[in-house]
Amino acid sequence: MSNASNKITTSQTIGPFSHEAWQWAVDACIPGNLKTTGDTVLVTGNIYDGDGAPINDAQIEAWTPIGAALEPEQMIPGFRRVPSGADGEFSLRVSLPQPAVRGEPLMYVTVFARGLVLHQFTAVFLEDDAGLAESTILNQVPEARRATLLARRTGEGQYHWDIRMQGEAETVFFDYA
Amino acid sequence: MKFDPVEPGIYPELIYPAYKSTVKRGPQQPALRIEAPVPTSRNIVAGPHILLPHDTDLTAHGASEPLGEKIVVTGRVVDEDGKPVRNSLVEVWQANSAGRYWHSRDQHAAPLDPNFHGLGKMLTDDDGRYRFVTIKPGPYPWGNHDKAWRPAHIHFSLFGNVYAQRLVTQMYFPSDPLFDYDPIFQSVPDEAARQRLISRFSMEQTVGGEMLGYEFDIVLRGRNATPMGL
Repeated sequence: MSNASNKITTSQTIGPFSHEAWQWAVDACIPGNLKTTGDTVLVTGNIYDGDGAPINDAQIEAWTPIGAALEPEQMIPGFRRVPSGADGEFSLRVSLPQPAVRGEPLMYVTVFARGLVLHQFTAVFLEDDAGLAESTILNQVPEARRATLLARRTGEGQYHWDIRMQGEAETVFFDYA
Repeated sequence: MKFDPVEPGIYPELIYPAYKSTVKRGPQQPALRIEAPVPTSRNIVAGPHILLPHDTDLTAHGASEPLGEKIVVTGRVVDEDGKPVRNSLVEVWQANSAGRYWHSRDQHAAPLDPNFHGLGKMLTDDDGRYRFVTIKPGPYPWGNHDKAWRPAHIHFSLFGNVYAQRLVTQMYFPSDPLFDYDPIFQSVPDEAARQRLISRFSMEQTVGGEMLGYEFDIVLRGRNATPMGL
């Protein structure tokens, strides 16, 4: 049983002033300097609030546990961090695990922003992954909401995936058991 | 590792109208609780190679001493079983002693201190302990409501030992008169959970003639999947 000394520490908003403190890890994963032995894909997107307005002070983290093995020379293998821009835009170049992703998330994503008092976990899948039907994660998501986790193919090695904090197309966020 | 459901009231309310920015940003759907092996077994690897000199001494970044009250902040990071979270990345950031951040969007009419940027990072040791030296941050106004001032606080970002332990929180200082008026602090319904965000003044950690000591222990989510003794 838990007692007073091991009850979890609660979350608080990241606030609007995290950027300088978080920049070192942003610098460590600049796409142009990416050292990977595998193929990569570029995922671009925007983050929107409940009015559809862009969130311009978010921080997006991505983690690719399988891809990390392809990036031993990266400062933090498999990890990405980017702030959102003026239009809520972000882009993440990540190693594509080989062979094909097969129902695993391309990346696990964590979302932080001012006014978001608890960071939110989500995950991104590629819409053209032939293994989606067997995905252990997607199969736990109500079918009507699965599309919020799929990155749309926009070109060779390029995908688009938006984050919506509220509304009918609210992104599915996870709590892990 | 397994993650028990978080008891109601421990986490802040995602949509808490008194904190205006939550209204359009907090998810309306409850988080979907799922089984996912990877987040409970692996994490990013951040070794000592990421650390820079003086990352743990925020008063050593300028040409001379920063203004304000020099303090040491230390504590242990453990999981819900009380086991140390070892070799785990901790990032901190804060306002200076005048209550201003080294950030382009902070236009509060208080001086920047050229000798204090308020940024640090470190790894916990084998006992889960972290320690850094800094300046006590000042309270500062923000635009949420009339006479909105934040209690003095230090932001903490913790990665834990597995992905799902990730946490961003804030450490407050004892006896701050602003607690009752701060909707960010008050967005946590559970009184005891709020109190756990307040550091403890520590004479033991105080370094005579140099700085006062504060202790702030952090408990990350997660338990060992196998009960002890089995």
